[in-house]
Amino acid sequence: MVNQLLLCSQSCFQTLGQTLNFETPLAALEVGKHFYWHLGGLEVHGQVLIVSWIVIGVLVAASAIATQNVQRIPAGFQNFMEYALEYIQGIAKDQIGEKEYRNWVPLVGSLFLFVFVSNWLGALVPWKLIKLPEGELAAPTSDINTTVALALIVSVAYFTAGLSRRGLGYFSKYVQASPALLPLWVLEDFTKPLSLSFRLFGNILADELVVGVLVLLVPLIVPLPVMILGLFTSAIQALIFSTLAAAYIGEAMEGHGEEEHEDH
Amino acid sequence: MTLWTFVLAVETVVEAGAEAAESSGGLFNFDATLPIMAAQFLLLVAILNAIFFKPLTKAIDDRSDYVRGNIAEAKERLGKAQSLAQQYEQELSATRRQVKDRLLLAQVDANKIRNQRIAEAMAESQAQVVTAKAEIAQQKQVASDSLNTQTAALSRQILEKLLGDLVHS
Amino acid sequence: MDPLVAAASVIAASLAIGLSAIGPGIGQGTAASRAVEGIARQPEAEGKIRGTLLLSLAFMEALTIYGLVVALVLLFANPFAG
Repeated sequence: MVNQLLLCSQSCFQTLGQTLNFETPLAALEVGKHFYWHLGGLEVHGQVLIVSWIVIGVLVAASAIATQNVQRIPAGFQNFMEYALEYIQGIAKDQIGEKEYRNWVPLVGSLFLFVFVSNWLGALVPWKLIKLPEGELAAPTSDINTTVALALIVSVAYFTAGLSRRGLGYFSKYVQASPALLPLWVLEDFTKPLSLSFRLFGNILADELVVGVLVLLVPLIVPLPVMILGLFTSAIQALIFSTLAAAYIGEAMEGHGEEEHEDH
Repeated sequence: MTLWTFVLAVETVVEAGAEAAESSGGLFNFDATLPIMAAQFLLLVAILNAIFFKPLTKAIDDRSDYVRGNIAEAKERLGKAQSLAQQYEQELSATRRQVKDRLLLAQVDANKIRNQRIAEAMAESQAQVVTAKAEIAQQKQVASDSLNTQTAALSRQILEKLLGDLVHS
Repeated sequence: MDPLVAAASVIAASLAIGLSAIGPGIGQGTAASRAVEGIARQPEAEGKIRGTLLLSLAFMEALTIYGLVVALVLLFANPFAG
C-alpha cells in the first residue's frame, strides 16, 4: 500500500512536471549530499571547507585593506569597517556590559562577521554555476558541522568567562535556587549550543531550500522576493547568533541575577 | 508549494533510500569537518584580532582622545576669552561711570555759573530800571515845573489881553 | 527503507512543520500588533521598537525552524531507516 503511495507520488511529480514543461528541470535540489574529501581515514565535507576558506579570505582581505593605512580622519573603506566595528562593539556592550565587553569583542565580532559573510556569500554568489562531482557549494552555515562548531566555541567561551571571572563559584548558580533544579541547569548548558546551532543551521538551510524549490518551479523573477527575504533573515540570524553569544557570556560573568535572554 | 515540498521530499526519500547503501550522505552527519571548522574559526578570531579589531579599536580610541583633548582645550580657551571680555567690560563700564560723573559735575558747575550770571544780569537790569525810573520821574518833575511856569505865564498873558485895562488901571 | 517507516516519516515530517508553525504564528501576530500599538503611541521610538520586534520575531521564527529541522531529520537523515 505504501509502495503504491510512493509510486503515485512519483508519477504525480512526473505528470505535474510534464504539464509545467519541466521534463528536464532547470535546477535540481540536492539535499544532504556532500563532496567528500578523505584525510587519512577521516571524512571531510569539501564544499563546506572551500566556501569557508573563501569567507575567511574575504574577511582577512577586507580587514587588511581597511587597516593597512589607518588615518585619524577615516576615508573610504576604513570608514566602512569602523562602522562595522562600532556596530559589533554595540552588540557586545549591550549584552556584556560597559566594564568587561572589550575582551570579548574579537570573539563576538568574529562570530558576527563570519556568520554574516557566510550567509550573504551563500545567498548572493551563484554557486550552482560551479560544478562539483557531488554536492554543491553553499553557505558554510547551512552545514550542521559549521554551526555546531561555532555553538560549541560559544559554550566553551561562556564557561571560560564564568570560571575566569568567578572561579569555581560559577557552579554555585547551579544549586543556588534549589538543588532540585540542578538537572535543569545542566540541561540548559546542553540546550544552549543545541538551539544556537539548530537555529542558524535551520534558518539558512530553510532559506536555501525554499529558494531552491521556487527556482525549480518558476526559474524567473518569482524567487526574487524570497531571495531578498532570505538575505534579510540571514543578516538577522548573524545578529542573533552574536547577540546570544554575547548574552551567554555576559550572563555567565554577571551571575544568576540576570534574567533569561533565551527561549528553552 | 507545500504539495511540491512534500512531493520532492518523498522523491528524495526514495532516492535516499536507494542510495543509502552506497554513500553515507546526509544532512546531519558529523565528521572531521567540525573540528577543522572550529580550529579554523579560532584561527580567524586570532587573525582578525591582530589585523582588524586591535588596530581599528586603537584608532577609534585615539581619535576620541584627540577629539576630547581638543574640546577641553577649546573650552579652556573659550573660558579665558570670556573672562577677558568680562574684564574689559568691567573696565569699560567703570570708565563710563567716571565720564558720567564728570559730565554731571561739569553740568552742575555750568548751571551754577549760568544762574550766577543770570542773577547778576537781572540785578544790573533792575538797577538800570530803577535809575531810569528815577530819571523819568525827575524829568517829569522838570517838565511839569516848566509846564506850570508856562501855564502861569500864559494865563497871565490871557488875563492881560482880556482885562488889560483893568489890570493896568 | 521500510515503506511503512517512509510513509510514517513523511506524515510525521509534515505534522512537525505544520504544528510547529501554529504557536510562533500566533506569537508573532501578538508581538507585531503590540509593536504597532507602541509605534502609534510613541512614533519617535519607532526605530528602537522595530529593532526589538525583528529580534523577537526571529526568536519565535526559530521555534518553527526547530520543527523544520525535525522534519528534515525525518526526511533526509531518518534514524529509523535501518
